[in-house]
Amino acid sequence: MTGKPVKVKITYCAECGYEPQALDLSKALMYEFGAKLSAIEIIPWESGTFDVSVDGELVHSMRREGGFPEHATVKSAVRARLDRGSHV
Amino acid sequence: MTLDRARWDTGITYDAFKAAMTRNQERFAENESRVVLDPETVRTFKSLPQRLRVLVLAEDWCGDVVANLPILGRLASEVPTLDVRVFYRDQNLDLMERWLNQGKYQSIPVFVFFDQTFRELGHWIERPASVTERRAQERKKIFASHPEFGSADAPVDQLPEDVRTRLQAELQKMRDNMVSFANAEVQRELRELVSRVAV
Repeated sequence: MTGKPVKVKITYCAECGYEPQALDLSKALMYEFGAKLSAIEIIPWESGTFDVSVDGELVHSMRREGGFPEHATVKSAVRARLDRGSHV
Repeated sequence: MTLDRARWDTGITYDAFKAAMTRNQERFAENESRVVLDPETVRTFKSLPQRLRVLVLAEDWCGDVVANLPILGRLASEVPTLDVRVFYRDQNLDLMERWLNQGKYQSIPVFVFFDQTFRELGHWIERPASVTERRAQERKKIFASHPEFGSADAPVDQLPEDVRTRLQAELQKMRDNMVSFANAEVQRELRELVSRVAV
């Protein structure tokens, strides 16, 4: 896994109190991938949102999938992206 | 689980809830100061034949709590026969389980009306459906008149930061403009609820 660093964006509903889930996911990604990530952007939003995108690709949406993402799902998406990047 | 006096006494007063807020305290106070009680609401509650206990499930981070609990608080200050006790949702999940929104969502605030013997008379959850509906309509209008915001269904993280900031401002403006309507709708629903059940 030596691909170019990927960017993760986490958009969460601030007025729903989803900070703990956003922070837990960020922490899990930081520990797992460290400097293989170019950035983790955390965007406070509204309307019951909890979206996660990896290099612009939406990998979880609370509206689409329901609930919060499994950390493993997001990690897999990041790994796949890193792998793809290393073969370009 | 039944609600009894001992459990009731573990709830905190409305003023204690306000004093203990670690988030949104200013916004809450501002909303409270802006509440205009409809005389019909006060009349309806004052004319109830018995004292009512109102159990509230709330958390200070919740936008609907910050918007709607001040209405009940102001009402209780005008109507001495309303006894309000607030329970933090996340510390009282057994209570939350009893009044789930659509049987599955832990939406707050929840206002549950009881008589003096803890017989439940009725409950109210989160916000009026009319407010949710109006908000959705107004949101659609915002997206329709601002093509730069893209699709209302698209993830906002795809928007450039400056555009996202403008969208956020528009949504906030829309919310602010809806406060009078929303407050009136909350009061209408509460009036209807107690008129139906309080005997």
